[in-house]
Amino acid sequence: MPGHRTKGFCASAVALALCVLAAGCGGSGESVGGGKVVLRYTWWGNPDRAERTEQAVALFEKQHPNISVRTSFSGYDAYKQKLAVQATGGDAPDVMQLDYRQIDQYASGGVLLDLAKQKTVLRTSEIDSGLLATGRVDGTQYAIPQGRGTETVVYDVKTWKDSGVPLPKQGWTWDDWADTMRALKKKTGQPGATDPGQNEDAFEVWLRGQGKALYTKSGELGFTADDLTKWWTFTDQLRREKAVSPAEQTTQLDGSVENTPLGRGKATADNNWDAPSSGYLAIIPTGIALSPMPSGSDGTPGQYFKPSMFLGVSAHTGHAKEAAQLVDFLLNDEAAAKILGATRGIPVNESLREQTAPLLKDFDKTVADYQASLEGKLKDPPQAPPSGDNALQTTFQRDYDQVSYGRMSPRAAAENYVTEAKAELRS
Amino acid sequence: MTTTAIPTGEKRATATTPKRRPRRQREGAAWVFLSPWVLGASVLTLLPMAVSLYLSFTDYNLFDPPHWVGLRNYTQMFTEDPRYWRSVWTTLTYVVIAVPLQLALALVVALALKSMKRGKGFYRSAFYAPSLLGASMSIALVWRAVFNDGGTVDNLFGTGGWVNKPGWALLAVALLTVWQFGAPMVIFLAGLQQIPAELYEAAAVDGAGRWRQFVSVTVPMLSPVLFFNLVLQTIQAFQVFTPAFAVSAGKGGPADSTLVYTMYLYDRGFVASHMGYASAMAWVLLLVIGVVTAVLFRTSRSWVFYASEGER
Repeated sequence: MPGHRTKGFCASAVALALCVLAAGCGGSGESVGGGKVVLRYTWWGNPDRAERTEQAVALFEKQHPNISVRTSFSGYDAYKQKLAVQATGGDAPDVMQLDYRQIDQYASGGVLLDLAKQKTVLRTSEIDSGLLATGRVDGTQYAIPQGRGTETVVYDVKTWKDSGVPLPKQGWTWDDWADTMRALKKKTGQPGATDPGQNEDAFEVWLRGQGKALYTKSGELGFTADDLTKWWTFTDQLRREKAVSPAEQTTQLDGSVENTPLGRGKATADNNWDAPSSGYLAIIPTGIALSPMPSGSDGTPGQYFKPSMFLGVSAHTGHAKEAAQLVDFLLNDEAAAKILGATRGIPVNESLREQTAPLLKDFDKTVADYQASLEGKLKDPPQAPPSGDNALQTTFQRDYDQVSYGRMSPRAAAENYVTEAKAELRS
Repeated sequence: MTTTAIPTGEKRATATTPKRRPRRQREGAAWVFLSPWVLGASVLTLLPMAVSLYLSFTDYNLFDPPHWVGLRNYTQMFTEDPRYWRSVWTTLTYVVIAVPLQLALALVVALALKSMKRGKGFYRSAFYAPSLLGASMSIALVWRAVFNDGGTVDNLFGTGGWVNKPGWALLAVALLTVWQFGAPMVIFLAGLQQIPAELYEAAAVDGAGRWRQFVSVTVPMLSPVLFFNLVLQTIQAFQVFTPAFAVSAGKGGPADSTLVYTMYLYDRGFVASHMGYASAMAWVLLLVIGVVTAVLFRTSRSWVFYASEGER
């Protein structure tokens, strides 16, 4: 018996030790895997973007046999949370896709590497200097934009045409838009579009159409509770008329196209960013089209060209050079540009943009044409939002949920939001 | 067993006539065997707790070094944050729904299993199975799909998607917990089997029916087990996170209806990066659970019957 017990004890001790080891290995992203350098690269996006990114990464691995890239992706909401946890634990991926909202916080928090240190392998000379500057915080280049995007009203062409409602035109106003949604509701029997009330981005477009902004230059709130009350009263009214999606649908939005009312076949249109709208093609095979966002009543456009996604390198990476090589490849390699197309927006490398423009096909061409149609008509983008904005985006949705479920008046919810936002921006 | 090495004479001598070793040496051995637990408890539990207590008095935001802010997090929580109070209310509602339902179901199933003649082992395992799956995210995701619009429940009963209705979403979360009644059930079953059969026979002789036997024999004899389950499940229910997180797709919605305490804590900490505030919330939760447990212990004096009391 004693001998038995000892054996059993040893076995379980070894098993425990193995568990610890296995857990240890799983957590670290360091070089394992047959002497190769292993990089972790994460992004958010839809399956279409994932497929093309995987292809590009495979090509990179072929060109650099000593590097192996482990990728992972998810929808934006989940990505944002996961990255925050990883970053603060000092376990940020070697190469990560970042949003305009995250740059300020991550750079000042010491998560990101100064990319200028890797300029021997990471070329930025072919990127427009104004665009490149959007990835700078206090004069240091922490991230590089991968493309630019702008918002759009994306719609199901067949359903819209069949309804007989006139198609959207450039320069339409928010009032035109509302009337169109009502008409669509009448003809198709279902809401025209997603309720834009919960969408901070749409609210920004509406605000800018009136010459206002989400944030002031010094990073304070750029609008009042009255402004927000007006916006929410406007969308709440449309929702009550069933011209936009009901609360039960709107609350299911999670940043993926599949869970929008349009993606579920419960609406004719959606407000979204141009490049991610490619995800709709898989759901609506009869075709989708992009039209501009509504402008203010005097024709002032609210939408703008926003650096759509950034690439950053972790300050704690053990392989800064290889990580920079991957970033360089994704931005400046001709073959990569051909594979990636416009899945993250039109390429930022100007000579590649010219080279690939005629090669763009399908939806990439749609996005390029859409952006070309707006060229020179939009106002300058706002500066990078203050770091509190990251959390406020969620607060905005939550407070509007209270309105769309009829639990709070637009006025009460708007005042709530302004109070919360001021506290958030103060801290 | 036959392969066991034959102990040498010397060892056998120590084994048969154990000479008591000095106390310190014995304690040393105890510490060696305790070391995995001690290490785990101090490094993985006590140390983080101490750090979180410190952080609760700071404005730590994960990225910048923390600054001391005194009681600001606590005062903000109690006086300036309506969403905090909403999460408190949601959690209390959840506890009041989930715990009694779960315990009642566990008791009913345990009673049924006890009187079962055949296949008891099988059914016991079958009813316990959901609890084994309990902590898994996948089950919670399936749950969301089942109660979503176009999901199974919607298709069967035409209820619409519960997870998208503020009045119903919390119930869907609670039902997930209730469904995982395996652990209290097994404990109930063990408790039931401890009750001496003579008591039932004596009661039957006195003309007590089944209901009377349940009320006058089973309930008092089972009350310590009932109390144990009640305390354990209440403590767990206050800390509910996974089901609420998954069923609401990580948002605590619709309209904050499933934003339970720990969800809001997570939101403040990891979404809004207010770790100081989240730490303060965690400490308030710890204190509240402590108080609630103490109150339960207080009331137990009047309704929990310990068999040993009878001999007094």
